[in-house]
Amino acid sequence: MIRVVSLRKAVLAGLAGAFAMHAFSLGVAAFGGPSAGIADTLRSSAFRNSPLLAYGAAALTDLSIGVCWAVFYAFFFWGRMRVRPPLQGLLFAIIPASLAILIVYPELALMRIPADTITISLRSFYAPLSAGLIASVAIAHAIFGLVMGAIYHRPVGYPCGSRPSLPAPRGRDRKPVYSERRPDGFMFATGIECSYPTIEQGRWRRDEMDSTRHYSMWQHDFLLAREIGITHIRYGPPLHLIFEGPGRYNWDYCEPQLEELRDAGPEPIIDLCHFGVPTWLGNFQNPDIADALAEYAGAFASRYPWVRFYTPVNEMYVCARMSALDGLWNEQLRDEGAYARAAWNLANASIAMSDAILKHRPDTIFINSESSEFYQPCCPDPHVQEAAAAANARRFLPLDLIYAHPLDPLMRDLLLQQGIDQSEIDRIAHREVPRRSVLGVDYYEWNERLIDRSGNPLALGELFGWYVIANQYWERYRRPMMHTETNKPDADGAPRWLWRQWHNVQLLRSSGVPLVGFTWYSLIDQVDWSIAMSEPLGIVYPVGMFDLNREARTVGLAYKQLIDLYRDQPDYRESPALKTLMA
Amino acid sequence: MATFLSVQGYDPGPSQRPLTSGAISGALATIPAVAILIVFGALKVEAQILGLTPLLTLAIGCPVMALAGAIYARVFGRPANNTHGGWLFGMAYGFGLWAMGAVLVLPIVSGGRTPAGPAALGVAMSLLTWGLATGILVPFVHRPLHEGLEKASRHAHLGPSAAAGKNGPIKEQRQSDKH
Repeated sequence: MIRVVSLRKAVLAGLAGAFAMHAFSLGVAAFGGPSAGIADTLRSSAFRNSPLLAYGAAALTDLSIGVCWAVFYAFFFWGRMRVRPPLQGLLFAIIPASLAILIVYPELALMRIPADTITISLRSFYAPLSAGLIASVAIAHAIFGLVMGAIYHRPVGYPCGSRPSLPAPRGRDRKPVYSERRPDGFMFATGIECSYPTIEQGRWRRDEMDSTRHYSMWQHDFLLAREIGITHIRYGPPLHLIFEGPGRYNWDYCEPQLEELRDAGPEPIIDLCHFGVPTWLGNFQNPDIADALAEYAGAFASRYPWVRFYTPVNEMYVCARMSALDGLWNEQLRDEGAYARAAWNLANASIAMSDAILKHRPDTIFINSESSEFYQPCCPDPHVQEAAAAANARRFLPLDLIYAHPLDPLMRDLLLQQGIDQSEIDRIAHREVPRRSVLGVDYYEWNERLIDRSGNPLALGELFGWYVIANQYWERYRRPMMHTETNKPDADGAPRWLWRQWHNVQLLRSSGVPLVGFTWYSLIDQVDWSIAMSEPLGIVYPVGMFDLNREARTVGLAYKQLIDLYRDQPDYRESPALKTLMA
Repeated sequence: MATFLSVQGYDPGPSQRPLTSGAISGALATIPAVAILIVFGALKVEAQILGLTPLLTLAIGCPVMALAGAIYARVFGRPANNTHGGWLFGMAYGFGLWAMGAVLVLPIVSGGRTPAGPAALGVAMSLLTWGLATGILVPFVHRPLHEGLEKASRHAHLGPSAAAGKNGPIKEQRQSDKH
């Protein structure tokens, strides 16, 4: 699939556009204007004795053609131009109008000739076209484009407050494949992309599981993961759909999937909060989210006591930055103070959720995934050095909070400026961090950035690599580690990236860092991540091991080869780092 | 459109067989297409224009349409495998074939002679139907032709040496290989 398309919206837009166009053509014909409608052609060729049938067939043909063009528009043109949707439709209409004038209408004229064959020249082929007819066809298509464009927009996501259909019920496996259970084995992981932030000032919900059709294909997705040899899968039940209010949960949105994972694997790492909160909780500026999410985490752990891996809050730094500093998601603010507030609330939520889970399952292993960012100053200019230092301090803030690491003075002052008490900061700084906490370090090629002379960050690509960046995190926190996310938005170059990341993992392991797993994220292609999900365009982000048709990509096959090569090696069959952690 | 298709990876991957599935789908799709040609009397007219018998026209037409199907599946690659949008790509391709073949090429090779009346309508309907059928069939024909994940994952270029990308052996290595 090349684009996520809302077929329902496209069909509606096509029908409405064709109806408007048809009405215009009828009006022109009624006033004696030039008409080269399909009805005339059908009346003179296929339906000679039945004008009414010819008209009906022509109307049906017009509507069908309208639907076809609208679906074509939805796949190839929607969202490509930075103009309003009706204008996009108008510009797109140039294509069908040109084809109609250059090919279809002259050919329709041929179809009205009462003969089997005819000898034509270029001049005679275009003879039926008059200036009036060309103008009429062009205007009719412009009307079609405007109407269709106005109706077809936002093909992915849904208004906040509404809900997608419930996940498909669990069926019998056509091909019973089970994950091999190795409690202490190295974790060869992947994940189902499950982000659910809001955009458009909280009015529109992005839901990656819905956009990638996981709700209807979840059973097939898990089967594919097992066939690749995946041992662990990061899985984020849709918090915004399940947690309906204090004490109210709709578990139907995750029940069948979790039963399947429990019975057949892969073992889930449950991701409880992934870039969004339920509408009733507002956004990450809300100080009540810690208590609310702790309640949810406790209820989840109580309902699914067999789950032993959790990511309480995914990528807190990225979530706070995108929501409160870059202005893209949720609260959509662009303010340093709002970032500090969001980071504080997220870290508090993570801590409260961990505590709530531990009450139900004391041996829980927490995989605290975070994006491994790094900012390099371009030059010795003091303001550039300061900007890089501030950016580096900012990236560590959420992890410093949950791992009780002394805060950078810059970040501590920022928290105090937000009205957060020193006593509260001290309380967190002196808490006992759960022993079974794993620092998950995500890495993408844009994570290393250069601060240029004007203080702007530029993507550096893989300058130092995961080994160097992850080592910074190891030196700072001294926690067991896991490579928790990587991918490459280049379908053909992805196997190279996979193996290079793997060599980084091996190097870090061999240097003595306790490393429990590796993750290619995600199992299936993602949607709109090339624009950080900031608009509901439906652009496929081809980073999955399988595309949205569930066809293997080369990186999926390469990962299978990697797993097959390593999983039975002594150090991977039983991972010393995980064994120590579980003890 | 080309950039849009390329970002998905033109290479369908070692587990897929677009040419075979496209050829089979293209050949199967000729069945409804020929039926429409016959109903509209267009087969006889086309054969007349080409100076062939209807049977010979069919005999030549089927492999040509199988080839057209193979080209379709290869060019559209992964999108052709889409059960939701495949029908549309197929129809667009069928329209393209009609515009290029029946409307432009046929009159040129036949000295300007072209079908008219119901036969012209039949040719258009037939190619649109062929495209629609090919687009619908490709994803379904393709599935059983896939190479299994087990075998497809064993290709050497997906293995550990992929880390080096397209870099060949280093210069010193090449020289020592020569000796």
